[in-house]
Amino acid sequence: MPSLLNVRGLTKRFAGLVALSDVSFELERGEILGLIGPNGAGKTTLINMISGTLSATDGDVTFDGCDLKRLPAYRRARLGIGRTFQIMRPFPGLSVLDNVAVGALFGTGGGDHNLPRARRVASEKLEFVGLAHRANQRAEALGGPDRKRLELAKALAMNPRMLLLDEVMAGLNLVEIEAVIAMIKKVRDQGISILVIEHVMKAIRSLSDRLLVLHHGEKIAEGAPEQVLRDPQVVEAYLGRRRA
Amino acid sequence: MSLLWQVVVNGILLGGLYALMALGLALVWGVLNIVNLAHGALIMLGAYVCYYLFTGLSIDPFVALPLTMLALFAFGYLLQRYLLNLVIRAPMFNTLLITFGIDVVLTYLAQIAFSADFRTINPTYAGDNFALFGATVPVVRLLAFAVALALTIILWLFLARTRLGRAIRATAQNLIAARLYGVEPRRVYALTFGLGAALAGAAGGLYGVVSQVNPYIGTSLTAKSFAIAIIGGLESPLGVIAGGLFLGIVESLTALYIGPTYADVASFGILVLVLIVRPTGLLRRTT
Amino acid sequence: MAAAPWIASPSLIQFGISTLLLATLAQSWNIIGGYAGYASFGNSVFYGLGSYGTAIAMVQWHLPFGVGLALGAVLAVAFAVVLGLPVLRLRGHYFAICTLALAEVMIAIVSNVDIAGRNTGLVLPLLRGDALFYEMAFGLLVLTTLAVLWIARSRFGYGLMSIRENEEAAAVLGVDTTLYKVLAFALSGFFAALAGGIHAYWITFLDPVSAFDIGLNVKMIIMAVFGGPGSILGPVVGAFLLSGISEVLSTEISNLAGLFFGVVIVIAVVFMPRGLADLGRRFKQFGWHYFAENVRVHRL
Repeated sequence: MPSLLNVRGLTKRFAGLVALSDVSFELERGEILGLIGPNGAGKTTLINMISGTLSATDGDVTFDGCDLKRLPAYRRARLGIGRTFQIMRPFPGLSVLDNVAVGALFGTGGGDHNLPRARRVASEKLEFVGLAHRANQRAEALGGPDRKRLELAKALAMNPRMLLLDEVMAGLNLVEIEAVIAMIKKVRDQGISILVIEHVMKAIRSLSDRLLVLHHGEKIAEGAPEQVLRDPQVVEAYLGRRRA
Repeated sequence: MSLLWQVVVNGILLGGLYALMALGLALVWGVLNIVNLAHGALIMLGAYVCYYLFTGLSIDPFVALPLTMLALFAFGYLLQRYLLNLVIRAPMFNTLLITFGIDVVLTYLAQIAFSADFRTINPTYAGDNFALFGATVPVVRLLAFAVALALTIILWLFLARTRLGRAIRATAQNLIAARLYGVEPRRVYALTFGLGAALAGAAGGLYGVVSQVNPYIGTSLTAKSFAIAIIGGLESPLGVIAGGLFLGIVESLTALYIGPTYADVASFGILVLVLIVRPTGLLRRTT
Repeated sequence: MAAAPWIASPSLIQFGISTLLLATLAQSWNIIGGYAGYASFGNSVFYGLGSYGTAIAMVQWHLPFGVGLALGAVLAVAFAVVLGLPVLRLRGHYFAICTLALAEVMIAIVSNVDIAGRNTGLVLPLLRGDALFYEMAFGLLVLTTLAVLWIARSRFGYGLMSIRENEEAAAVLGVDTTLYKVLAFALSGFFAALAGGIHAYWITFLDPVSAFDIGLNVKMIIMAVFGGPGSILGPVVGAFLLSGISEVLSTEISNLAGLFFGVVIVIAVVFMPRGLADLGRRFKQFGWHYFAENVRVHRL
């Protein structure tokens, strides 16, 4: 089967700064691909370019055979691309339930036009991420970990075929991390392919089928987790040149 | 040809004053992220302060200018410190609304205090002109232009060279980092707003000399200041000068070649176009 | 309330008509400013287009009022779509300023157009009977409010609110933000234009400065914000409350009415920035702390 996401030669240049340089990789259906790299490596930039939040200077992104070039963010979302934001973006004045309902109303295929049904789907997603007890609270009242759950629920409500997760575990304690890992695995079991950016090494190791490493905007390694994490280039990127 | 030259000269002189008007607005906008809809009212107040110093104490308007600026500075400082600071972390729209409310209050208070009559500041040399390569230049307009330019350059130097100026710029860029360096935001904000008000006051005093004043001039002056600030960009006082001169010349030319009623259309039309095409202003941004 | 014209005094009816039209304007602003979060300072343009569309149709082409109204509305919607597309790309205050500038430009442009009677304006045919205008204005307000009610409970409304709360997040969830913003703007313009048309026919005289009255923008925004932007009845309550108090005050001293408005705005923005609707909802929970809380959260 052809891969779900095909990225070829993706490049992003800002005035005088190259954020991403000639990055190519594929995401297979039903796979969890971990994206790692030191800070500033360009991971979020890459996700931004796939979701359409940022435009590409060069290169191609193909999703399920569709060329994403020129497609605005909302069209990509309707194709089935869901994402979370590292710096969370809830709808502060809306209730938690309504936040998620927006995802159900507008997601893949244009979403559901039936409001009550969308709210029911939203309820289900809130159950899934463990936020059901806060359904009627204002989103702005939520604390950090709950906001992450909300981000995930919103993206899931879209009924995506691919999920781009940007550091959903930052700032969580070990127990919460285990819970999120279990959630992500369940999501994959539902048939959703996932690209995860994460800094928590233990988590990404146990979660990913494969790993992709970025450094200074370039891909420096790709493959099975154990292999990649032993790659001297990768070690050097994280620890600096002093370690041989 | 000499008519064109006259019009251009008029435009430049007007532009300098425009630049000064917009300067205070741009400063407050750039540093505090406050879009001050009461800015025109501050200009109006400055004009009245200068007017009463002139008619009441017989102080020459250009000499009265520093006093006017001081008065408006104090007013602005208090306004920011005790009122605007209360809403500064609210959504931007709230500051827009509150400054609008302040504008309304100031306008009506001025109407009650000063009546709706038009007033002009008429020093003895008000009618004098001199010739500049064939164009007639009223002395007061040239003086106003010179003062406006001088104040703008002083502001620029202040922001770039003095410690307080740097503190202000630092606060504008990163409030948290500035705090770490010992900058006290509440005071810096109040000082900056006071500075903006002082500049508005100076512009008002000059405006009172070259044109007529009544309590209602505030709104259109605010709108014009916006136009200049946006066209020139909020980056630097020099950009505001450029914006002011540009608009001054455009308005003069429009008044001559298309018709006097179209001057405003030209200004606002350009503003709309600039906003749509290049919201950061006509000057290129050098990172 | 619909029965009012038959029991109230003429001046009260006139007040009623004015207020009903203002309430409609506030409600129309609510759509683009309250729900979509794009604070337009230029809805007076739609009002003016509605006025002039109606007037031109009736005076220059001798068409009936209904057709005139429709023409005015079509004009406003077309304007909203054509200008909305570029202007709605602007955020926050830039959008506000741009719409304000547009409002100023319109006055000057219309002053120079012959068919609109240039500076001198137009005089419409007279229709006697304020009661009829009252009912029309009332009907329009009901219609507009029903529209807002529908929006609040629809997918469209959720889309608008998501744009208001966080436009980027809305886009990645699949909301076609451009389309929705333009639709909201057009809808807002539609109702404002109808109000303008009724007003023009009622006062029978139209000139550029009063038709495109910039002060209207401010009034409708304050009424909507004071009442509660993003709520269904907030703008209506705000309009009636503020109009009523202003009317009472202006029979005393007209300056005071204006001053009153200004002071109300300042106090409201500090202590109840989300309007009466939010105050009503949360006062039960918070009591007097509601006001202090608003200040605490927003002060430096």
